Amino acid sequence: MKEQESRRRVSKGYMWALFCAVFWGIWYLPGTVIWVLNPFDEMFGAIAETNGDGVSLVVTAALITAFNALTVMLALMLWNGVLQKFGELSRTLKEFNPCSKWFFLASIFGGPIAILGSFMAMGFIGGAFAAVAALLYPVIGSVLAYYWYGEKITRRAAIGIVVIIFGGITIFGGGLATELAAGEVPWIGYLGGLMAAVGWGIEGAIAGKGLDISEPDVGLTLRFLGENIIWWIIIVPILAIVGFPMYSYAIQAFEPLTLLVLIFAGITFGFCYVCWYKSFPLIGVGRGQGIGNLYGFFAVIFIFLFFGDIPQWTILVGGTLCIIGSFVMFTEEATEIETLRGE
Amino acid sequence: MGKNRPIKFRILELFLDGKEHWNYEIVSKIQKEYDMNSAYGRDSINFDIIELASGGMLKDLEQRVDEEGIYKKGFLLHKYVITDFGKVRGSDACVRYV
Repeated sequence: MKEQESRRRVSKGYMWALFCAVFWGIWYLPGTVIWVLNPFDEMFGAIAETNGDGVSLVVTAALITAFNALTVMLALMLWNGVLQKFGELSRTLKEFNPCSKWFFLASIFGGPIAILGSFMAMGFIGGAFAAVAALLYPVIGSVLAYYWYGEKITRRAAIGIVVIIFGGITIFGGGLATELAAGEVPWIGYLGGLMAAVGWGIEGAIAGKGLDISEPDVGLTLRFLGENIIWWIIIVPILAIVGFPMYSYAIQAFEPLTLLVLIFAGITFGFCYVCWYKSFPLIGVGRGQGIGNLYGFFAVIFIFLFFGDIPQWTILVGGTLCIIGSFVMFTEEATEIETLRGE
Repeated sequence: MGKNRPIKFRILELFLDGKEHWNYEIVSKIQKEYDMNSAYGRDSINFDIIELASGGMLKDLEQRVDEEGIYKKGFLLHKYVITDFGKVRGSDACVRYV
């Protein structure tokens, strides 16, 4: 009976991680669409004329990411309201040193590095690439969690992670090889992909630190509170002072279609994060990120279904490797991970 | 007392006495302190304990089936004790009291 209970807990953790992957995959749809909608399309064009494509891309991506953080926050407030967690929310917020500090730190790596990087990759190269480029983040997450607070990585989990990495490299390398052959490589997009991988890996490991003594739903909301502060109080005003027309375009974002896409992005991303954070205490950061990685595959499928972009064979091979790797981790004996840390 | 602290802090604080506690003792104590008397409140507190245990801060010592229905009839009751790691994390979080 004890074993049964422990197995139930672990399979619940895997289930959350899988949901996360599905939501995350869907998120790349609004994330890609938003670039061709106004005001962001106009904004990109206007700034590109005066400051060049590269600068314009980063500035536009910053505004999109800021709106993304805002809608995610709205979705999360709703979620916490339903779960009656507002009391716990303010209790945790007051504990700056043991808790909030870690969540704000996580938001620095998650927001301006990982999510901004993803939008850059989506804008310059495309959704499918942005999705698969970030596939490498569990490597960073697992290794950091292992060295920093000694989270156990079983041999099976290690094998699974390695297989997933090979899948990621196949997808990544395939696109790069074609573009190298064509002689034109959109480096800023690739830089964005790299930022996504590194940022999310570090975020996962940092978040694990504050997460073990607080509630996941609450921790997540604080992390996005941090991100909203970073965007709307620090980065957007600075860009505006430097002379980019941030506010005039921000106000124009309040039109039905753009808002709809932004809210769609907020909901999918918000719940993907909820599931992600919920899985960590149950199965550990390394495994949570590993299963969550199936999002790369879901994203490619959804993008194919909705935009009709036919993926290259390297993406299919790599995606399959990712699935195999995730299942290697999934079939792990539940008793082996009864507790996630060494004593 | 720790009424205004996050629930997991309070749970750790209760375990910091180094003694063994059954989950239902802790859960009902927290339910009273935080005014969470619904079944939903009970389950979410118990889930916090499970998360602390899987995070290696509490150790699951023994279990017995709840035949009398003290907590939830037919389910397992767990007895936990704080681990060394739990003491470190718990004292970090509850500096005010230690």
